[in-house]
Amino acid sequence: MAYDADASSGSNLGPTNPALIQQVQARVDTLHAADPGNTQPIPVDLVTASGSGLDPDISVAAAYYQVPRVARERNLSEQLINGLVAQQIEPRQFGIFGEPRVNVLSLNLALDDLSAGRISVTPSASTYTPSPEDTSLLFGLRITDWIQLILFAVVIAVLLVPVGRFMARVYQGEPTFLSPVFDPVERWIYSLSGVKANEEMDWKQFAVAMIVFSVLCILVPFILQLFQQDLPLNPSGVGPVPWDLSLNTAVSFATNTNWQSYIPETTVSYLTQMTGLAVQNFMSAAKGMVVLIALILAFSRKSITTIGNFWVLLVKSVMILLPIAGIIALVLVSQGVVQTFNGPATVPLLNPVNDSNGNLVTTQTIALGPAASQIAIKMLGTNGGGFFNANSAHPLENPTPFSNFVEMIAIVLIAIALCYTFGLMIGSVKKGIALLIAMCILFVPLAGLAIWSETSGNPAFTPLGVDQSPLHAQSGGNMEGKEVRFGTVQSAFFAILTTSTSCGAVNAMHDSFMPLGGFALLFAMQLGEVVFGGVGSGLYGMIVFVIIAMFIAGLMVGRTPEYLGKKIDPLEMKLSTVIIILPIFVILIGTAFAVLTDPGRAAVFNPGPHGFSEILYAFTSTSMNNGSAFAGVSTNTLFYNIGLSIVMLIGRYLVAILTIALAGFFAVKRIVPVSKGTLRDHRPLFIIWLVGVIIIIGALSFVPALSLGPIVEHLSMIGGGLIHV
Amino acid sequence: MSDLRQAKNPHAIPGLYRRALIDALWKFDPRVLIHNPVIFTVEIGAVITLLLFIQDLFGKAISFSMAMNVGGEETVGFVGAISAWLWFTVLFANFAEALAEGRGKAQAEALRKMRRDTIAKKLDNRYAIQKGKPPEPADYQNVSSSALRKGDLFYVHTDDTIPVDGEIIEGIASVNESAITGESAPVIRESGGDRSAVTGGTVILADWLIVRVSANPGEGFLDHMISLVEGAKRQKTPNEIALFVLLIGLTAAFAVVSATLWAYSWYSVNYATGTGTVVSVTVLVAFFVALAPTTIGALLSAIGIAGMDRLIQRNVITTSGRAIEAAGDVDVLLLDKTGTITLGNRQAVELIPVDGTESMDLAKMAQLASLADETPEGRSIVVLAKEKYGLRERSVMATETTPEMQFIPFSSQTRMSGVDFGDVRIRKGAADVMFAAIQAASGSVSDQLKEEVKKISRAGGTPLVVTRNDRALGVVYLKDIVKGGIRERFAELRTMGIKTVMITGDNQLTAATIAAEAGVDDFLAEATPESKLKLIREYQSGARMVAMTGDGTNDAPALAQADVAVAMNTGTQPAREAANMIDLDSNPTKLIEIVEIGKQLLMTRGALTTFSIANDVSKYFAIIPVAFASTYPSLGVLNILQLHDGVLSAIIFNALIIIALIPLALHGVKYRPMSADDALRNNIIIYGIGGVIAPFIGIKIIDMLLVFFFGV
Repeated sequence: MAYDADASSGSNLGPTNPALIQQVQARVDTLHAADPGNTQPIPVDLVTASGSGLDPDISVAAAYYQVPRVARERNLSEQLINGLVAQQIEPRQFGIFGEPRVNVLSLNLALDDLSAGRISVTPSASTYTPSPEDTSLLFGLRITDWIQLILFAVVIAVLLVPVGRFMARVYQGEPTFLSPVFDPVERWIYSLSGVKANEEMDWKQFAVAMIVFSVLCILVPFILQLFQQDLPLNPSGVGPVPWDLSLNTAVSFATNTNWQSYIPETTVSYLTQMTGLAVQNFMSAAKGMVVLIALILAFSRKSITTIGNFWVLLVKSVMILLPIAGIIALVLVSQGVVQTFNGPATVPLLNPVNDSNGNLVTTQTIALGPAASQIAIKMLGTNGGGFFNANSAHPLENPTPFSNFVEMIAIVLIAIALCYTFGLMIGSVKKGIALLIAMCILFVPLAGLAIWSETSGNPAFTPLGVDQSPLHAQSGGNMEGKEVRFGTVQSAFFAILTTSTSCGAVNAMHDSFMPLGGFALLFAMQLGEVVFGGVGSGLYGMIVFVIIAMFIAGLMVGRTPEYLGKKIDPLEMKLSTVIIILPIFVILIGTAFAVLTDPGRAAVFNPGPHGFSEILYAFTSTSMNNGSAFAGVSTNTLFYNIGLSIVMLIGRYLVAILTIALAGFFAVKRIVPVSKGTLRDHRPLFIIWLVGVIIIIGALSFVPALSLGPIVEHLSMIGGGLIHV
Repeated sequence: MSDLRQAKNPHAIPGLYRRALIDALWKFDPRVLIHNPVIFTVEIGAVITLLLFIQDLFGKAISFSMAMNVGGEETVGFVGAISAWLWFTVLFANFAEALAEGRGKAQAEALRKMRRDTIAKKLDNRYAIQKGKPPEPADYQNVSSSALRKGDLFYVHTDDTIPVDGEIIEGIASVNESAITGESAPVIRESGGDRSAVTGGTVILADWLIVRVSANPGEGFLDHMISLVEGAKRQKTPNEIALFVLLIGLTAAFAVVSATLWAYSWYSVNYATGTGTVVSVTVLVAFFVALAPTTIGALLSAIGIAGMDRLIQRNVITTSGRAIEAAGDVDVLLLDKTGTITLGNRQAVELIPVDGTESMDLAKMAQLASLADETPEGRSIVVLAKEKYGLRERSVMATETTPEMQFIPFSSQTRMSGVDFGDVRIRKGAADVMFAAIQAASGSVSDQLKEEVKKISRAGGTPLVVTRNDRALGVVYLKDIVKGGIRERFAELRTMGIKTVMITGDNQLTAATIAAEAGVDDFLAEATPESKLKLIREYQSGARMVAMTGDGTNDAPALAQADVAVAMNTGTQPAREAANMIDLDSNPTKLIEIVEIGKQLLMTRGALTTFSIANDVSKYFAIIPVAFASTYPSLGVLNILQLHDGVLSAIIFNALIIIALIPLALHGVKYRPMSADDALRNNIIIYGIGGVIAPFIGIKIIDMLLVFFFGV
């Protein structure tokens, strides 16, 4: 029998799920039974399940906790084992990233060597003493956590300007350092495809091009999946994908959602992954950028009927994504992300175990594949579709804390840099930065809530004798569904980044987040995926919000509202209003439809209000083209495959086409010169107003639903009464 | 006091409120209410809850306690109370609109009285006009004024009421226009020139006119205005439509929020907890109404009508609501120098003798020469001589007037005035005219004179030369007097981002001096109709909105081109037709007020929209804990106001706030000139933050009153 590491996954048990508490209790009991004398609090990662189910590490605290038992069983002195554990501690990567940790396999091999006398260890009387930065809290977080968060902000701030400028230059046809390579390629593509590069399109032509290309983008992966069994690059020999799942996956990747109802390892071939899905990772991201640039061109020029050439902008967008994705892929490979065409590897188990049916398991299967190339664009293009089921929690998809850091940078890089590009292209960098600041104002509290909620841990664990403190040689907090190498803070931060942007890649199981953590993730999406949103789509969504905010603000100063000098007339308000409320409709009606029907309810995994949150999350994530999930939900059914496909299509294409029309209407307008009567749309006052409008629209639409999901789950939890069914 | 004036005081309109209440009841008709979808949805909610109430009344034990009982099963009293307050909400919304319309109607009534049918003396088609001669009774027949058609000629003489608008073809008369302007001083109307238009409803005080009808009945300016204020033809303006779209979008979104909530609640009760009860339809309806932008939805049309109303109160009539809004957007004001920036007339400020003349001699001669000049400039010379040189008019007359003294009155053709007695010919006139006279007589003009004239011109003044027997005595320095306070007014406009441009026929030099003194941003000197038109087009091609005033026929093309064009009521018919507003007071400064009214109109809409949406935040805290308490008691923690019946209190607040804000909707938000950023900050604080806080307080007070009067 082979232990199947193919289908990597976390438990997806919700924080208030009685089953979770029972499981933790059972693990606590097992540990106590194995070592009755040990009355120390149990480090949390020993009693919780990881995100991938394949986490190779345990926390330093967890290693030391087991020292007395191991010493007794191996007949070695505790001092000796203390010394061995101290040797085996893997410190933070580069002294900065991730958590200090111990690789279980490595430790066990070393123990074997020690028992057999193959190695010698200096005995140590004391256990591990964490560094001072790890033993005090500053605003609730350890210094080491702050360093990682601040470094993230610094790196983004440094990259913002060059990447933003690079994109502006590419779109404006100015030379870049890559021009010698890309210009001939670009010309070659145009001459080959017959695209007349200097002919711009009006909005209708633009929209038609968008629709034609998008249909193609859905058809290709759809057909590839149906016939993958007869096509090459299928080492695991996976069969055809059912039509409804194929459709869902094709739509999901074409719409930049990357909702995955399928288990990649066992469902799709390498060919499908590479030519079907990875290509769509580029194309769907590029399409988002294309629509944004069309809107920017509409605002930056006056009295013109055209908004750029769809095909030219598409090619340029891909040309932007390719080199950056290439660099990221190389970094990821250096960190150990797999990139191979070989099939799954089968390796013998060192320590054969019995599975739940009592059969002896002697080998395990490890899924491989050309992952790195796909993962780079998965993050960079805010796609989020994992090569493996456990996505970025998987040790081969996100092996090290540094790869995690790079993946987090990649998630927001383009979305944030596009704000700068926007500023450059409309001729006012500060207006672009103003939008970025608005995004940050929305982002920071949500990130704070997510991190606070996860580091606070699960109150239900504490009475069981579980230690969730971040000060005791572990990251602490709610470790259910999280990987030890990243720790709680970086998992929560990754989660809020991936939901704020429309990425949807996960390095921890969102379903197992605490209620308020889950609330933060849900609400980040429900704000309209404009913080920072998908590449392109986030900023164009934000601009539509700006139009709404500007409209009301404009009225309040007694002037026909305008943005960037373009007056906002009824037609633009109609489009903007529809663009804003369309996803609200889709999410709320879709969720209502699901909870009222049997096939809809069948997907629920966790009981109580958390189950409701799962359905709400599914429709929120797909409508906003995020793609992450409260992954306990089982949506590989006809109902969800078709239903969510429709939701994704509306959330992406209807909104994009309306935005293209909006660009067309704004393009023809004149630009009113700035005067003192003009509202300055880059000043703090307007930024705050914009933030207020976004929050109020989001809150008014979703607070009732959220009340019945994460909010009531939280209140019940702290009220002491867990919801029992 | 004229009829129009009377209409300006709403409290003076008998039965205004009673009539508004009756009209409000008529507006419950769904066919009427559908035009206001936001309030229409409230009416649907009211009907639903009423049906529920009736059903409960016959289906359940009757309990009139207002409060919901703990299990979430609401009492009949609760359903009835919600239903009643929803009906009140609709009523209040209707009342607000009816009240605004009522005021409009009263004004329309007043306007209509001005054009009530009168007897018109319609001239025969074949009548040939003879200059200076009134027609004989045989030439015309008495017809009803409504029988007059465009192009017809009619005759009016002393004590006749002018039947309809028209343009004077022949004659001159003094007319009492107090019916429309409120000014009782008679005005002169004559054919040709810029004072040839007459308005129906005004009365001839003396002399006679032959007038050509300028519009068919029902198509005149007044008719437009009447239908506008009555709301009959009140088309929504672009901004209003855009806001309307946003409000409908929000209403639709909240309808979905409320409806889907039932599904979520049903799921929570049946699958998530297995206990509790599903949120009731009554509560969901209440929830929806509390969320929907009912406040702004109820007041939106009242705000629009009231904006028109404020314009009328300032004696301006307009043919389109669009023009008022456009006024709020104006970037550039083109202002005629004379009358707007400067007092209508130049005044003498100094007498400068030349070529060795005694200054007292010059003063005497200047005064003598100006006695026959009835223009304000001429009068100002007499006054200057009196005040500065102690020369009393009478004393001059007494010592120097002789029977043979012959006055030569000022005329705009000769541009001079004077007096002859004996051999002495004293003249005073425009420099170039006098130079020509001097040159004709003696061949040359002295350098000193030339220099003084040039100096005054350079300083922006107007030099008048005084001569005796064609020999120069000196120069009178006429100066434009900038109106008091106008400089500050322009500074205010500048803070609002509005550029002021002075239009004048003066030369560059004069114009620049006055422009600097008045503090305008720019000026157009030596303006011609063509240059005005060109200037407007230039600004417009830069996407600026231009407003101007005008009265002359030659202003008509520019008026037609401007985005906001205000014609003086005293202006010519072509000017009035080209404009989209008419100022009955003929006060060119009015343009600034019109801009302010336009801005105030938009601001009121924006402020109430913000207030309405900000209210929702606090209403959430009132309703959600109560609505879901039956499913999840732990949500009661959100009941931070400790309300006993948050739903009913919120609905009552929601209805009462409409009534409370009617005065604000009708009067408009307080307007002060300030930059856009400042205005936004103030309004966000008052209507945004205030809009969040006010309902917290209001709902809590209502809740306490409910507990006090009805108990729990």
